[in-house]
Amino acid sequence: MKHRAVLYGLMLLASSFAASAATPVSETAEDKPATSVNAHDIVAKAIDHWRGLSSYSEMTMTINRPDWQRSVSMMGWTQGSEQTLIRITAPKKDVGNGTLLKGNAMWSFAPKINRVVKIPSSMMGQSWMGSDFSNNDVARSDDIVDQYSHRLLSQEQHEAHNIYVIEAIPYEDSAVVWGREVLRVRDDYVLLQHQFFDQDDLLVKQLNTLSIKTMDGRPVAAQQRMQKQDATEEWTEIIIHNADFDIDVSPRQFTLSNLRNPRP
Amino acid sequence: MMPVSPFKLSGVLWVLAWRNLWRNYRRTLIMLTAIAVGVWAMIFLTAMMRGMVDDMVRGSTSTLLGHVQLHHPQYRDDPNIVNSMPPPSTSLQQALNSESVVAWTTRVRVPAVISSERETTGITLVGIDPESERPLSFIAHKITEGRYLESPNDRGVILGKRLVDKLETRLGKRVVLMSQDPDNNVVDRGFRVVGIYRSDPSMIEEQFAFVGRTTAQGFLHMGEQISEVEVLGSDYRQAKSLAVPLRQTANNETVPIEVLSWTEIDRYLGSMLPMMDGFVLVWIIVVFTALSFGLVNTLAMAVFERVREIGLMQALGMKPQAIMLQVLFESIFLLVIGLVIGNLSAWLTILPLQSGIDISVVAQGLEMGGMSSMLYPSLQIEDMILATVVVLLLGMGASLLPAWRAARLDPIKALTKH
Repeated sequence: MKHRAVLYGLMLLASSFAASAATPVSETAEDKPATSVNAHDIVAKAIDHWRGLSSYSEMTMTINRPDWQRSVSMMGWTQGSEQTLIRITAPKKDVGNGTLLKGNAMWSFAPKINRVVKIPSSMMGQSWMGSDFSNNDVARSDDIVDQYSHRLLSQEQHEAHNIYVIEAIPYEDSAVVWGREVLRVRDDYVLLQHQFFDQDDLLVKQLNTLSIKTMDGRPVAAQQRMQKQDATEEWTEIIIHNADFDIDVSPRQFTLSNLRNPRP
Repeated sequence: MMPVSPFKLSGVLWVLAWRNLWRNYRRTLIMLTAIAVGVWAMIFLTAMMRGMVDDMVRGSTSTLLGHVQLHHPQYRDDPNIVNSMPPPSTSLQQALNSESVVAWTTRVRVPAVISSERETTGITLVGIDPESERPLSFIAHKITEGRYLESPNDRGVILGKRLVDKLETRLGKRVVLMSQDPDNNVVDRGFRVVGIYRSDPSMIEEQFAFVGRTTAQGFLHMGEQISEVEVLGSDYRQAKSLAVPLRQTANNETVPIEVLSWTEIDRYLGSMLPMMDGFVLVWIIVVFTALSFGLVNTLAMAVFERVREIGLMQALGMKPQAIMLQVLFESIFLLVIGLVIGNLSAWLTILPLQSGIDISVVAQGLEMGGMSSMLYPSLQIEDMILATVVVLLLGMGASLLPAWRAARLDPIKALTKH
């Protein structure tokens, strides 16, 4: 359960390098007049390009609360959007904890109890360890594409980049609690901001990209912070230290046995 | 000396007893009052307690319990979606449409998780057929905002008021329901809140979310399968006999189906009925025991006052049995008059209370026991008969002692007593 936020971080990472991989596409998009930019395509292309890519990354997640702060370091592997494996490397008491995500199913391994546990649906709706990441955004990375209708609100110029402001409104039957979401995507498909509005159109929380770095030749949202709107002292931040893209990941990496017994 | 016919003798004894009763009318009236109040207390309190139990049973049977339920045999141990059953076959439908069944419906009932923008909590998801559900449970009658479901395909959800408050959502907003399909995959879907219900007790409001049955089946990938069939008979006390023909039919089905009456499903509640019967009897006997001291004392006094008179009657040839009968008759008069007044006054007190007693002052405490804030006393003729019979029989028994002592008096000593 508690790897959820980690997963989210990884997904963010994935979406940011998806963006980088999509550079050729963005060039073609730039050729077109701005009015014909399709909001759905921008989101879909970002997700589509991230899919099918593999990656290895090291990152740290920090949860901040008024009276405590906690950091967790981890490494993660992804293969497409369906397969993700995460292992915690620090702090010491959490080392070895792992999470495997295949499609919508999720397993967790804790060395202390030496058990692989499938996360039941009843726990899929909770946030992790009091972090500010909700699970609805996490395991279901495709949802932002096919559970919403998208609309391009505006385009902005910022530091020689074109930024698309896209509004995503969930369909009637979508398993989404938000009233609408607003995404700010740079023309190289780095997600700059993701705002979540409730059904009264009040901003509940937002994800901001604080710094962008080039890793393995691609622009990556290296530092991102999720913050609830009504509590400024409460946020969760993910910092990506380094990332490798398009690496060879063995299919064996994403198995329950590897989750339990890591092999180099 | 002509023997007196027993019939005539007993007539004389009745008259004597009646007249003796009113020789000290103050004492008699006090005793009558005591008996009447005692009997009133027996019947009135019994009616109140019966009302409470009735209320608990009715409340529970209308909270998705019904009188008889049919499930997959493992469903009650694990209300998992895997433990579902096919919809009633033709033969089972015939049994369900028999005359003893007032109404029946099919439901999907599985554990689920509901989320709004701000809160996530566990609930029981109930997929109902709105029309056939109407006579069976509270939900159709307790909608306070919005509307009831319109068809099994309705795409909306009905939530309880307390759940709505907890989720910080409201009518017209969307919430997400999440559960598992039969293959253990997570399934979820957004539903718009179309109705809000209030219930009594309000704990229920946080537990159940109602959607259309077909919608639930589609959402949970369960095809035509259902979780349960609920059956309503005419009287909750007859649930066991209602279950018998259904069980016979269900045993001939191709799939195993468990048929249980509400007393077997909710054993705690089911045990309330026999416990209540025992309690009523104990209560009547306790009140009577208190009464009997007064009764015995009154009769003992009556005998004591009339020692010389009894000696005279004996000296004139009245047999000890007749003396004994005379005292017993006196006791019967007391008891019967007291019982009539007591029964009547109990009936008269309960009559204006039939529309319910508002006990909402202590509603929160009562809710813990699954009771509502209105108490409807339930006067049962059986309880009145029970109280009457117990008081009459035990009263006569208690009167035997003073009567026996009167009969045993030595006429010589009695006559000379001052």
